[in-house]
Amino acid sequence: MTVVLNQITKSFGAAKVLHELDLEVHEGEFLVLLGASGSGKSTALRMIAGLESVTGGSISIDGRDVTNELPKNRNVAMVFQSYALYPHKTVGENIGYPLKIARLGKSEIEDQVRDVADQVQLTDYLDRYPRQLSGGQRQRVALARAMVRRPAVFLMDEPLSNLDAKLRGHMRAELKHMQQQLGITTIYVTHDQVEAMTLAHRVALLEMGKLQQLASPKSIYDDPETLFVAQFIGSPPMNVAKGSLDGGVFALGDDRIGTGKSLSSPDAVLGLRAEDCRVVEAGAGKIRAKLYANELIGDHTLVTAETASGMFSIKAEKEFDAPMNAAIGIDFDPEKLYLFDGSSGARMR
Amino acid sequence: MAERTLMERLFEPAQIGHMPVGTKIVVYSLLLFWTAFVLFPIYWVFITSFKSAVDVNSGPVYLPFIDFKPSLHAWKELFVFDWEDTLKAYTNSIIISLFATALSVLIGSMAAYALARIEYAPKFGSILIFVLSMIAAFVGVGVYGVDWRLACAVAVAVFFFLIKALGRFYAARLGNGDILFWMISQRILAPVVVVVPIYMMFQSVGLLDTHLAIILTYAVVNLPIVIWLMYDFFKSIPIELEESAQLDGATRLLTFFDIVLPLSKAGLAATTLLVMILAWNEYLLALFLSTSKAQTMPILVAAMNAGERGILWWNMSVVIVVMIIPVVVMAIILQRFIAKGMLLGAVKG
Ligand SMILES: Nc1ncnc2c1ncn2[C@@H]1O[C@H](COP(=O)(O)OP(=O)(O)OP(=O)(O)O)[C@@H](O)[C@H]1O
Ligand SMILES: [Mg+2]
Repeated sequence: MTVVLNQITKSFGAAKVLHELDLEVHEGEFLVLLGASGSGKSTALRMIAGLESVTGGSISIDGRDVTNELPKNRNVAMVFQSYALYPHKTVGENIGYPLKIARLGKSEIEDQVRDVADQVQLTDYLDRYPRQLSGGQRQRVALARAMVRRPAVFLMDEPLSNLDAKLRGHMRAELKHMQQQLGITTIYVTHDQVEAMTLAHRVALLEMGKLQQLASPKSIYDDPETLFVAQFIGSPPMNVAKGSLDGGVFALGDDRIGTGKSLSSPDAVLGLRAEDCRVVEAGAGKIRAKLYANELIGDHTLVTAETASGMFSIKAEKEFDAPMNAAIGIDFDPEKLYLFDGSSGARMR
Repeated sequence: MAERTLMERLFEPAQIGHMPVGTKIVVYSLLLFWTAFVLFPIYWVFITSFKSAVDVNSGPVYLPFIDFKPSLHAWKELFVFDWEDTLKAYTNSIIISLFATALSVLIGSMAAYALARIEYAPKFGSILIFVLSMIAAFVGVGVYGVDWRLACAVAVAVFFFLIKALGRFYAARLGNGDILFWMISQRILAPVVVVVPIYMMFQSVGLLDTHLAIILTYAVVNLPIVIWLMYDFFKSIPIELEESAQLDGATRLLTFFDIVLPLSKAGLAATTLLVMILAWNEYLLALFLSTSKAQTMPILVAAMNAGERGILWWNMSVVIVVMIIPVVVMAIILQRFIAKGMLLGAVKG
C-alpha cells in the first residue's frame, strides 16, 4: 500500500520539529528515514502511526486520508525501538495479541502465531516471558507481533539499535529478506547510514525536520544534492576543502585544480570521496599534502593527509606505508569531483 | 578476599553465612533481640487478653500457665455477654474500610491514570473566575437569600460569559504537576481541621451515624494518597506498551484492562493495603461521625477506657487482638502481588 505525506508539519509548542514534509512511499517499497539524533525521524513515523497529532498537512495510506484517524484504524504495525513487549504475556500471547483483539478463533490464532514464529525462529520460545529472552529474541518477538497482522504498512523505529554489532548485521539481512518475501510497504527509521544503504529501496535524509534528499542509496551516495547530504553519507565522510572557483579552476591554497566545468564562485567547496583519491609522490598529483596518519583497516589503509584546507582521508593500498610528515601528492580523476556553493551548500554542476 | 577498610567492615558487613563463628553469634543475638523487641507488644496484648484483673493490677506477669492462670473472662465478656456490640463494631469496621478503600482506590487510580497519561492545561484565570462566581453564588444564597437554583444558573452563565470575554487577556496555564500538587496538598493539613464542617454537612443531610457518611469521608480523605502513589506507578509503565496496544487495535478501555491493570497489580495491592489500614485504624473522624449505630473498632477500643471501672486492659486487649487479624489476612492476600520485577522485559535489554 502507498503512504503519502503531504506538506506535513509538526510543532511542539513553539518548537517546529518538522517542516512541510512531502513524502511518497510506493507500494511494497522499503523506505528508510535517515537522520541525526533529533532530526524528527521518530516524530514523522509516529505521526504516520497516529500516535502523534498532525500540526499541518495531511497523511494518506492506500489512498485514504487518515490524518485524523485513530491508530487502530490505520492498519499499520509498528516495531518500537524499545520493542514494547507486554511483560505479563508470554511470547505466544504477545505475538497473538493483535489477532485476539481482532476476535479470531483460538485455533486460528494458534496456527498463525506458529506460522510467524517459525519465520523468525521463535517456535521453541512461545511459552516464555519476554524477560526470559535475549535482546535479539525480544527484537524478533516484536517483529513477529507486527508481521502476524499482515498490516498495510510496517513502521520500524530503529529496531536494531539495541543489538550488538554482530547480531545487528544478521538481523539486517533477515529484515531485508523478510520484507522482500512479504512485500509489505515498510518505513524504517534509523540514524545508521549502513542500515540505510543496505536495506533501503530509497533513503529519505532528514535534517532539522527538513527533507534533504529522497533517492536510492546509490544515487544519494553518488549524486548528493547538498553538501550536507554529501558529508552525512559515506564512511569516512566525504573530504571537503574550502576555496574559490574561477572559470572552472578551483583554488585550494596554492594548488589550482581544473574541474572540467565552467563555473565561477568566490566561495566554493570541493568534495572528494576517500576511495576516489590516490596517494602519489610529492610534486605529482593535484593537491599538495603532508602525511598525518596511517591506519590499517583490513583490506585497505586509511591515510589521513593534511592539506592547505584541512584533513583529507584517502583509501590506499593495504601495503601502503610512508613516514609521518612526508610530503605527498593527492591525485584523482576530475570526473569524481563534487562542487558545492559555499554559502547555501547547494550542489554546483 | 581483599583487605577491607574499617568503614567497609562497619557499614558493609560480609554475608552472614561467611562470617566467623564469634561474629555470627553476635549478629544472630542482635537480630533475635530486635525481633523480640518488635514482637513483644503484640505478645503482651495477646497474653493480656487472657489475664484477670488481679493479674494485670498486681504487677507484671509474663508467662501464661507459669506466671498466671489464663482465663477467658475478657473474651467471654466481649463475645458472649456483649457480643452484639462487639460484632456490630466489627462488621461496621469491615464494611466501612472495605467500601471506603474500594471507592478511593477506584476513583483515585482512574484520576492518577488520567494525570499520568493526558496533558491538562487549564488556564489559571479561568479557574479563578470559576471560583469567584461560585463564591458569588454562595454569598447570594447564604446572605441575600436568593433561590439556590437561580444563583447556580446565574453563576454558571456569568462564568462562561467572563471566560469568553476575558479569556484572551491571560495566558498562564496550570499543568498536570500543579493539579497533582493541589490534590496532594489536600492531605498536608490533618483531616481534623475540617472535621467540624464535615460534621455539620452530614448533620444537615441527616447522614450522621451512618455507614455512608464514614465511607464517603474516608474515601475522600484517602484519595490524595491513592492518587499520589498510583500516579508514580502509572508513570513508571512505559508508554510504548500502551501505544503498541493501540496500534494492535485495542481501544483505550481495552488497553487499560489488558495492559495497564495487570502491570499495576503490585502498585494497586500496596496502595489498597495502605489505604485499608488507614481506614481500619481511623479514630478521630469516626468519633465525630458515629454515635452508636456506625461505631467502628477503634471507637470500641477507646470505649474500654471510659467506664467507671477504670481502664479495662483485658477487654481492650481482646479488641486489639481481633482488630489485628483482618489486617494480617489482607497483608497475606495482597503481598503476593507486591512482587518486584513486574515490568522486566518490557523494554530494551
Ligand atoms: N513530546 C515532545 N515534546 C517536545 N518536543 C519533542 C517531543 N518529542 C520530540 N520532541 C523534539 O522533536 C525533535 C525531534 O525528535 P525525534 O524524537 O523525532 O528525533 P529523532 O530523529 O527520532 O531522534 P533520535 O535518533 O534521537 O531518536 C527533537 O528536537 C525533540 O526534542
Ligand atoms: Mg527517534
